[in-house]
Amino acid sequence: MRFVDEYRDPAVARALSAEIHALVADTGTVRIMEVCGGHTHAIYRHGLEDLLPPEIELVHGPGCPVCVIPMGRVDDAIAIAETGGVTLATFGDMMRVPGGRGSLLEAKARGADVRMVYSPLDALALARREPDRHVCFFAIGFETTAPATAITLRRAREEGAANFSVFCNHVLIEPPLRAILETPGLRVDAFVGPGHVSSVIGSDRYSFIPEEYGRPVVVSAFEPVDLLQAIAMLVRQRAEGRCEVENQYTRVVRPDGNPRALEAIAETMEERDDFEWRGVGVLPRSALRVREPFARWDAERLFTIPGARIEDPKACRCGEVLTGQIKPWECGVFGTACTPEQPLGTCMVSSEGACAAYFSYGRARRRREEAPVGA
Amino acid sequence: MTPDPTRCVTCGDEAVTARVVALRGGDAVIEVDGTRERVAIDLVPDARPGDTLLCHAGIALSRVEAAAR
Repeated sequence: MRFVDEYRDPAVARALSAEIHALVADTGTVRIMEVCGGHTHAIYRHGLEDLLPPEIELVHGPGCPVCVIPMGRVDDAIAIAETGGVTLATFGDMMRVPGGRGSLLEAKARGADVRMVYSPLDALALARREPDRHVCFFAIGFETTAPATAITLRRAREEGAANFSVFCNHVLIEPPLRAILETPGLRVDAFVGPGHVSSVIGSDRYSFIPEEYGRPVVVSAFEPVDLLQAIAMLVRQRAEGRCEVENQYTRVVRPDGNPRALEAIAETMEERDDFEWRGVGVLPRSALRVREPFARWDAERLFTIPGARIEDPKACRCGEVLTGQIKPWECGVFGTACTPEQPLGTCMVSSEGACAAYFSYGRARRRREEAPVGA
Repeated sequence: MTPDPTRCVTCGDEAVTARVVALRGGDAVIEVDGTRERVAIDLVPDARPGDTLLCHAGIALSRVEAAAR
């Protein structure tokens, strides 16, 4: 049971759709960025664009953690996986992300011991079960996933785990948002804030967006009624001349998030000086590394990491997709050289990626047909 | 977490809401789509059977309150 029925009620969705249609008569066009890849996926999975008036333009944001990992970090993970006696454990989608030397799945085919887990705690359990191997967990994800890594590091310390480490690639949501907000000619009027990241960091953390950049934010859950309600709240703010952070996901998100989760992250990890984001470039203080007291479980201290910066394939326009500058179908290789089966760019790998969402839910052909000749 | 093929297991979107059916060894046993799984409740230590939790990557992130719509 997933407790979703009431958030998929067609009658409620129709009423919200009607409210949005009525509100945009006053506001005109509103360009809304959904920051989180989970929202992008939900919008296309449930066909929400078809319930919105043409005045609402949805722009997809950078919040897919798989999509933002640069090719060089995939190569680093492959180098760890190819070290003798090492098992590299990671989430399933991460295994398919192409690096400069192929993907982790291809490294596995060449003989590296790469295994899929659903939790860093599973990776620690694997280390416990196989004491003759060193198990390294390739950790990625925003603030939603970092607490699980933090709890795992705490448990590794409690157990004195001698054959476990974390290759930390956790990223933070605020730096890419600021980068987008500072993009010259930004064409975003409002933001749907991430839901589950916010369950950790809290809705108050977005106050810089209305205060410094003059754009409203509504933190939203992931079901169709949730997203329509969040969009209605944003349009209502505009219609009423307000610009503030509101929280649609009150059943989970508190203004101050989960202080215990924030404490666990702060105890085990610290901000890096900078980190490369795929397609976006290097952003200062945008990612986390393992803190010194946990150095014994830090793969970057235990292994020789190549650390090379690998250029994205020239044809791939993931960076522009991730920052909302183009729609997936405007990329020349979308659906041709780049498909979910054979992804060229990361946005096509994860189901949260904007390109994969467009491709999977039949938007590709329709959008191409709508595009003006020569586009 | 039990993977849903339409969702990415990496992302926080895979966070699922699930009811606690028991406590065991410091963890909570939750039920997701008929399957029972253990999640760490270090971050929601007062979780009790009957509570609904938001779970992601093997841990509970938050308690889900009754919807106020």
